[in-house]
This record gives sequence, structure tokens and C-alpha cells, in this order.
Amino acid sequence: MTSPPILQVDELSVKYATSRGPLTALDRVSFAIPQGRALGLVGESGSGKSTVLLALLGLLGPEATVAARSARFRDADLFGHGAAAVRGDRIGVVFQDAAAALNPALTVGLQVAEPLLVHRRLSRSAAMRRAIELLGEVGVRRPGEVARCYPHQLSGGMKQRALIAMALSCEPDLLLLDEPTTALDVTIEAQILDLLEALRSRRGLSMLFVSHNLGIVERICDELAVLYAGRVVEQGPTEAIFARPQHPYTKGLLAAVPRVQRDRMTRLAPIPGGLPDLTQPQEGCGFRSRCPFSVAACVLPQTLRPGAGTTLVRCHRSAELTEEAWPAATEPAAARRPDTGVRIIEGERLTKTFRLGGFLRRLRFDGGFPLLRPARELRAVDGVSLTIRPGEILGVVGESGSGKSTLARLILRLLDADGGTLRYKSMPVPRKPDREFRRRAQIVFQNPESSLNPRKRVGQILARPLSLFGGSGGEDPERHIERLLTLVRLSASYSDRFPHQLSGGEKQRVSIARAMASEPEILVCDEPVSALDVSVQAAILNLFADLRDRLGVAYLFISHDISVIAHLADRVLVMYGGAAVEEGKLDEVLHPPYHPYTEALLSAVPLVGVRERASQRIRLPVEAMEPGKGCRFAPRCPRRIGALCDEVPPPVREPTPDHRIACHIPIAELESMEPVLVRRGS
Amino acid sequence: MVAVFILLAMTGPWIAPFPFDQFDMRARFDPPGGLHWFGTDEFGRDVFSRVLAGAPYSLIMGFGATAISLAVGVPLGLAAAYYRGLAGELVMRAVDVMISIPPILLGLLILAVTEPSLWKTIVAVGIVYIPIMTRIARSVALGLLVEDFIEAARARGETAGYILFREILPNAWPPIIVETSLRVTFAILLGSALSFLGLGAQPPLSEWGLMIAGSRPFIEQAPWIGLAPGLALCVLLIAINLLGEGLREFLDPRLVEGGRA
Repeated sequence: MTSPPILQVDELSVKYATSRGPLTALDRVSFAIPQGRALGLVGESGSGKSTVLLALLGLLGPEATVAARSARFRDADLFGHGAAAVRGDRIGVVFQDAAAALNPALTVGLQVAEPLLVHRRLSRSAAMRRAIELLGEVGVRRPGEVARCYPHQLSGGMKQRALIAMALSCEPDLLLLDEPTTALDVTIEAQILDLLEALRSRRGLSMLFVSHNLGIVERICDELAVLYAGRVVEQGPTEAIFARPQHPYTKGLLAAVPRVQRDRMTRLAPIPGGLPDLTQPQEGCGFRSRCPFSVAACVLPQTLRPGAGTTLVRCHRSAELTEEAWPAATEPAAARRPDTGVRIIEGERLTKTFRLGGFLRRLRFDGGFPLLRPARELRAVDGVSLTIRPGEILGVVGESGSGKSTLARLILRLLDADGGTLRYKSMPVPRKPDREFRRRAQIVFQNPESSLNPRKRVGQILARPLSLFGGSGGEDPERHIERLLTLVRLSASYSDRFPHQLSGGEKQRVSIARAMASEPEILVCDEPVSALDVSVQAAILNLFADLRDRLGVAYLFISHDISVIAHLADRVLVMYGGAAVEEGKLDEVLHPPYHPYTEALLSAVPLVGVRERASQRIRLPVEAMEPGKGCRFAPRCPRRIGALCDEVPPPVREPTPDHRIACHIPIAELESMEPVLVRRGS
Repeated sequence: MVAVFILLAMTGPWIAPFPFDQFDMRARFDPPGGLHWFGTDEFGRDVFSRVLAGAPYSLIMGFGATAISLAVGVPLGLAAAYYRGLAGELVMRAVDVMISIPPILLGLLILAVTEPSLWKTIVAVGIVYIPIMTRIARSVALGLLVEDFIEAARARGETAGYILFREILPNAWPPIIVETSLRVTFAILLGSALSFLGLGAQPPLSEWGLMIAGSRPFIEQAPWIGLAPGLALCVLLIAINLLGEGLREFLDPRLVEGGRA
């Protein structure tokens, strides 16, 4: 820590000119990154995380005014003359969306080589050779071939690697990362994080890591700066902040994260409200309106001062509040309903195959006769069976492409299944379901932006299912809409608003209210909280739990985030490549014996407060081969036995009744695996 | 400007100094002057009055034809987007075939088989522009059909009609309206062109295209006979185009603000 910091930023401020006056995006943010260390910037969307990074790179548009007392990289002034050369040469950047950051018309190799051509003035062939080396270094297999590929030929993880290679090409001293893994699957994300850690120790790289994912930040970063509304509210060593958050906002953030090991019945603690209006000058603490500990003195300007340990805190009460935890959500969960033996949904060996390529693409003229080639087929869902009982939450986890969303649409008969049967309360559901089924089975989507019709008011959106299915017992529709809005904790005044006047969390609430309007018995939720901030996510998850407890709604709950599933679900279905590889009660799935893929998933997810897993990380190779007739997971399975796995479909083993694992490995062996998670209470 | 034209078209019969078909054999080929603002034609008819009387035809032609193409093309396009697969494919290939024929030729084809008259021209021009409307409606609808609120409607068991006209159409309006305003100018032009060719309005109606056609033999002695309706046509088209441009600017920010992902 004696060496001078590699990046020193002093009182960086950014203001945007907007139609409502100047908006303060960043307010005197200061930090320093020592050589070889990683600083994490965390906060909700809109807190100014990415703005810091863009300001340092000089990438903000002309409507932004950037001011800083000083911003020095080594000895160079980042806002002075010749800053562009320093930025490109000594600082590497990795953005979130690799697909957008790569030029689709140039080969990957050329793009990795480009900085070398510009800053190092290498010859083209030398630059290409170096690019191939770099691709190899970031873990791309057969880098020579990949260098000649165009971006669309690569998977998301590969593109992200190429982007990192590009950032590394001039051997920078500092890497700026803006949510580099957010768009990736967890197993791929884990590999990218491994790579970043390895690069750091191998090259002594310093990093500025912007992320909303607290689990990732905890793993990667030594130091942390928590941003709220453009101000740093807490800054210090990562471990200290996670162990003992001192600013109320940090406490709130950590309390809102669902954790695998927390007791499932406890409710998450959401942070009420939203960001303050940044066009209004904020004299006092920007968080005071949402803070449960706020007092009158909070309107006075706050300074970032030393708190406990080496942490800096921007809260005048932090010393008094050290022992205060973020208040838990008040309403206790109601008693669960007894199992009545009714099965709302029973799906048996549901199968859906998509044909790829249209009619014309398949048409071939061989010897003058038009011939239809057989279409390439993609088996999106392959013989999945499931049962959902009243008030039960069945969680479905898996990576993108595992068939989760297709399964959801099969259950609702939004897609026709090619095979298998679907029963609703023991009655087969026809291809064109009747009103009763449509009424009782509803859906909530991932993207709040697209799930509401932008041209309709909230009231109109909610009125439609009421008029379609008839309200409950002649109730006045307006009163009913009010009741629905109250159910999702929105005030009645929302019914006059258009969707674009709502925040993401509010839109999701309206979306849930619309689904609840017809009084469904089962709600299919397709990643309903993935697009939301942690603090909002907690509130929505609580809402789901409430609806289950109060109204006995059952859920098919899809998520790629295993901690969300672990928080909410009673039973879990793990999907891989369209097939169910494991199904069972939550606790059975989270602990051995489990399927090797479940093990890999659990090992890959960055979880808050679970650092000790590092000793036994399981990493899956990027899928290389098409799966054969046997187990779909075999080509990537770290525990593959041999040719048996490739050729013979795995048997379904039942270690306990109602817990099924589709794997060739005998139960006894699966049982003896070292658990990824420490069993709760032991 | 367009409003001025519509006003003139509606009040034309009252403000025109002469009836549009009044012959005055003593005043043939009078150059523009105090009495006859735009001069007179070969029968001594007042060109200014005739231009005024022609305005409603052009406007009716433009808006009527566009209305026809909207009324048929938009539902067809929406349906083609909704029922992809064979039905949608057939519609779109039919549309391709129609688009590949030059508009004038297609108009001629439709008119050639029947006796020419003004309303038939309107219908013909309308039919010519159906495929373009179909295309636009379809492409907008295809983009909207993947949105989640459509899926939510399907999960409620909504009918195709409800989804197309209540969920999709309100969101599809802005691009369609902008296209419509541009289409009106094309329709007016095509209508006049067809009249010019003798397949639209019939003499003695003072449709502008027809007037230009009638003026051709006298273009050297009395250029004003053809020039006046030609200029009127130009100014009207430019005015409608500007209106379309304005509409586009007015509607685009709303599209962004609408928060479409």
C-alpha cells in the first residue's frame, strides 16, 4: 500500500443539462485505486455507477459537464491534453453488452489487434499474432480459428472473453469493467470471474469494477464504494462493509438480498421509495426519505467521515447505529394451507420441438425437382413432467436455452405441446383451453417495459380481465381496480397513469395486479424479478409470498438466480438442455445427493456471504459438442463416467420419494459428494 | 397550407368568378389579367374558376384513395402478421407481386377493363396502394407481436380480433399515420396522371390532370391553361408533404416517450 495509487480521483462531479434544470449525476466522488487492487462501485440503477466510468473515459456526451479537482492516472491528468492516448493505451475497458461492443462486420482477431495497430503501431501480421496470443490467454480454445470468426459466430461468453482480450491488448495497468458478466449465464459468469481474478494475480492489474451484483463484488473487490444518488455513502474494505455495514443504505441493500442459507419463511426487507429527484439540489442526506433511522438533523449537509475501522461513512448517526439492523419487514407470514391432495397442474412428459428455418430455406432443387429437406429440429422441452399443488411454489432453474420459458408457455397452452399431457385439476386441458382455464392460470413476465401496453392507462389494463371474466359478485369495476392496486401496494391514483409514467418495480406490480384480476389459482412467473434492482426485487418477492399465503395462489416460478428460488420455492425443478435433470424439495436439491449440473450451478452462483466455497469451484467447459443420445449434460459434465453417458439416456433415480435425479452415477456416490453449501443449522 | 386548399375546395363554387363550365367564345385564349386571373382556355372558360373547381377532385382523390388503401391494407397487414405461416405468406407474396407492377400500369390495368369515371379512379388508386399499407402494418405489427403484453392477452384467451385492433393497432398508428400523409400525395399525383391519360375523370369535369391533358395542343399559344393546374398540383403536394413531415416530428418523440423497449 506504500506505492502511489494508480488512479486517483478527487471530487469528480458530473452534471447533465435537462429540460427541468441541471441534474447532478455525480456529486464530488473521490477514490483511489492502489496498484494491483480492485475497487468495486455498487448501487442501484440510477446511482451513478456507470457515469463514473464513462466520465473517466471522456465518453459522456456534450450535454454533460464533467468537473474534478483532479483525476490522475499515474502522472497523467485524465482530463488534460493527450488524455485520449493514455486512456486507450494504459486503461482497458470492458462493457456489459459484448454483442453491442463488438463490430459485427470485422473479425474478432482484427478487433483485438486494432488497439495494437493504433497505439503500438505494430505491423498487421505482428498485431494479429499478438491478438491470437491474447485470445489464448483469456481462455479461448483454438484462438487461431476464433480470431478469424465474426462476432455472430461466437457465444456470449466467448464474445466477453474477446472483449477482455481487446481491453488487455496494450497491456494496460488498469481495467475498467462495467457489469462485465450481467448478460451471461451463471456458469459462464463464474468462468469470466475466475479469469479476471487470474489476470489480476498474474499481471498485477488494477480494476475498477462496476456492478449491481453484491455477490460478485464481494468475490472480486478488495475495496468498495457504495454510491447513492451520485454520492459515495460508504467506502472501505469489502470484508468490513459486508460484515458490518455502517450506512443505513448499505444495511438496506444487504438486507434486501435473498440468501440461500436464510430461513425461507423470513421476509426480505425491501427499501421503500425510490431515488430522489436529482434535479433538486440536495443539501442533506439524499437517502433520508427512505431511511428508517432518519432524524431532523439529516437535512443538514453530510460529510464522508471516518466510521468504524478504516471505513468512510456519510451518515452523522453511523456511530449510534452500529448495532441497529435494518428493520425486518413487519407482516409475519400466515400459516400454510394443508395439503388437500388437489393437483392444480399436472404435466406429463411435455415435449416441444421447434423447426428451424422456413419453408423456402428448406426447398432444394436437386436434379430439377423441388425437394423439401428435413428441417433442423430443436428440442426445447424434452419430456418434462411436473405437478403443482395449491399454494405451492415450484421453482424452475436453468441457464438460458434450457427450455424454462418454453415450459412456462406449454403449461399455459400458449404454445402447443408436441407430446405429453396437461391436466388442470385432473381434467385434461384441450388445445384451445376453455375460459375457466384461461381465468385460473395467469402469467407474469420478466420485462416490465414490454408487459404493459404503452397506449393504455393502468385502469384500462386492469379493467380488461375484469370485463372479460366478470368481476367478483357484481362489485363496481372501479372499486375492484382500486382493490387490485391495493393488493399490489399501489395507491388508487395509479389507475390514471400510463405505463411510461411508472418505474420498473411499479410496472411489475401492475403486471401482477393484471394477472391477479381474474383470481387465478396458478401464476406462471417467467423471471419476474430479473430486471429489477435488489431493493425493488425484495418488495416484489415479498408480494409473491403474501399472495401465496393470503390467497393460496400456486406458482411456477422461473429464475436463473438460485438464491431467489431458494428464498421462495417449496420444490425445485432443475432444467438443462430442455430436460429435467433433477426435481425435489428445495432442501433436497440444495444438498447432496444432487445432479452434477445442480452442483455446478450452486458452485457458480455468486452468493452474498458465502465466501468459503472458493476451495471447490466447479467450472463447466463451454459446450463444444452436440449432445448425443444419452445424457444432455454429458458433454460438459465434470463427473462424466464414460461413453455410457453419451449413448444411454440416464435412469431416473429416487433417493427419497418425490426427489428425482436423472443421472448414471449411483445414488451412493452422489450422496458422498462434498456439499457446495453448508447445510443450514449444522 | 393544406387547410387553405381544403377551404378553397369547399368554398370554390362561391368565390369563383365564373362557373367552371361557362363557355365564352369571345374570350378564348385570354392571357391572365384582371378579369380572368389565370386567363381562359380554348372555349373561353375561366382557368382560375376551373382550378378552384378542380381542387375538390384532387383532394377527394388523394384522401379517398388513401382511405381505401388504409381500410383494406391495414387489417390485411395486421392479419398477415398474426397468422404467420401459410396464410400470411400467401398474402405477402400477393403483395410482392402487386408492388412489382408499376403503379400507373396497375392503375391502367384496373381502369382499362371498365368505363372510366372519377370514383373508379379513386378505387383504382386505392387498390394500387393497398399492398404498401399492408406491408407497413405488417412490419409494425410483427415488432409488437413479440411484446409481453400481447402474450398476456393471449393468456387471457383474447380473440385475434381483440389483440389486433385493441392491443396492436393503437401502438401501430404513429408510423401508419405518417406513411398515410405521404401516401396522399402519391395518390393525388397518380390520380391526376390517370386522368391525364384519359382514364380518370371525364370532360367537362375540371380535374387538374384532365385540364393539363386538354391544354397540351395549346401549350405554345396559351401556356397558362396547363400551367395553372400544374402549379396548383405542385403547391398542394408540397403542402401535404410538409404536413407529413410535421406529423412525423410530432409523433416520433411520443414514440420514444411511450417507453417501448
